[in-house]
Amino acid sequence: MPSREDLALLVRTTVSDVLGTDAEDVHERTSLVDDFGIDSLELMEIGARLERALKLRIAVEDLTSARDVGEAIDLLRARTAEPV
Amino acid sequence: MTGRHRSGGHRVAVTGIGVKSPAGNDLEEAYTTVLKAEGTAASLAGWLVEQDHPVHFGCLVPPFDLEAYLTRRETRQIDRTTQLLLCAAADAVADARLPADLPPERVGAQIGTGIGGLPSMEAVTLSHGDRPREMPVHTVPRTMANSPACRLAMRYGYQGACTTYSSACASGTTAVGEAARKIRYGELDVAVAGGVDSAVTTVVVGAFARMRAMSTRNAEPELASRPFDVDRDGFVMGEGAAVLVLERMDSARTRGARVYGEIAGYADTCDASHIVAPREDGETAARCMRQAIADAGLRPADIGHVNAHGTSTLLNDRAEARAVDRCFAGQPPPLTAVKGVTGHLIGGSGALEAALALLCAERGLVPPIANLRASAESDLVDLVVAAPRTVPTAPVLSNSFGFGGQNACLVLVPEG
Repeated sequence: MPSREDLALLVRTTVSDVLGTDAEDVHERTSLVDDFGIDSLELMEIGARLERALKLRIAVEDLTSARDVGEAIDLLRARTAEPV
Repeated sequence: MTGRHRSGGHRVAVTGIGVKSPAGNDLEEAYTTVLKAEGTAASLAGWLVEQDHPVHFGCLVPPFDLEAYLTRRETRQIDRTTQLLLCAAADAVADARLPADLPPERVGAQIGTGIGGLPSMEAVTLSHGDRPREMPVHTVPRTMANSPACRLAMRYGYQGACTTYSSACASGTTAVGEAARKIRYGELDVAVAGGVDSAVTTVVVGAFARMRAMSTRNAEPELASRPFDVDRDGFVMGEGAAVLVLERMDSARTRGARVYGEIAGYADTCDASHIVAPREDGETAARCMRQAIADAGLRPADIGHVNAHGTSTLLNDRAEARAVDRCFAGQPPPLTAVKGVTGHLIGGSGALEAALALLCAERGLVPPIANLRASAESDLVDLVVAAPRTVPTAPVLSNSFGFGGQNACLVLVPEG
């Protein structure tokens, strides 16, 4: 199971790559909707990349329900802790 | 003084031009390059050469600062075709200085592309064909044929008719002509119209080469595109985009816009005879030229010069020469063919050539045809060779002919 720190780096790197920005621009309190106006396809691309990296099924609701990046990281951490 | 078009509709002005082409990344640069009549085709060593490809060269758009036009986020979601189109459109829109208060529903994107998203579908097939579950989520929006037009509409909020025209190598001319019709008959007040393709790829170039439509002059790429020359051996694949801002002539005058000229005539016909070869006698192409000239309310004798489709394939050049001969009844005006310099931009060519033809007509200088030494068609057409030909400022006929037997002709009237 990846540490929260590793997971946070992975999420921030993936998000910034898809949005064409730098990882430093994506923080725990960043809201992808309010701060970046992210669209549904970009969100799905982020989900697809995280699924591949974590070898994990990620429900679309997990991505849309998180209010900010920090909450998404916590949600993913909980999922990775679940028995497969 | 502005009056109406002879059809009773609105006259259509060209008020902005943007170009991303092998001959240059703005109109003046492209004009200077075609006047010099030096081929821009170059070897693609490190790529087509290493693949044992039959064709080793092409005409690419010189590098420019993409980040001055597009954010990294936009760039990630679109392919090179759409990138080139958006950059040329940004230049055209800036050049036109359109008023900020245009009703968005009266402005439309009108774009032609012959090959569309096939190059990016080719790329994703090669990178992910055996791993479909890992394909990028943006594959469909990136490869749709209407991506360039719709991204253009999205970028500026144009809510009027957004149309993608596909008439193979005539697509850019079709788009400009149909856009002008939409303004003429009152469907739009402003159209951002043009053409684009970026298909210098292994599969697309290889596929054209299989028909022996492409030059394989691999040792001398800069001499490969030679329209109407006896030593031609096929066309040279290029890439690029050109965009024209078209608007009602009366509003352009009222707002004091810089008017490059008028899209005065347009026509399109179809050979309906062979899926790729043009009709040998050129009759349907000649009819297209005559109809475009008549649409402009002119006679063949009023045309100051012809911008030929001139691909540097034997079948096109010979049929086109016959068609010009038929249209002008043995009294042809000077004729040029800029593909000797630019290569064939497929969907981009018609729009690029309309822009260049208008500028050449305005300045009264017809570029010489690159690499033309001796022609078997010189008894049919008045080929401009060796040096630019000075002509009076007069209307110009711009031809585009595409696979499928598609013929499209524009008549452009310069200012002055």
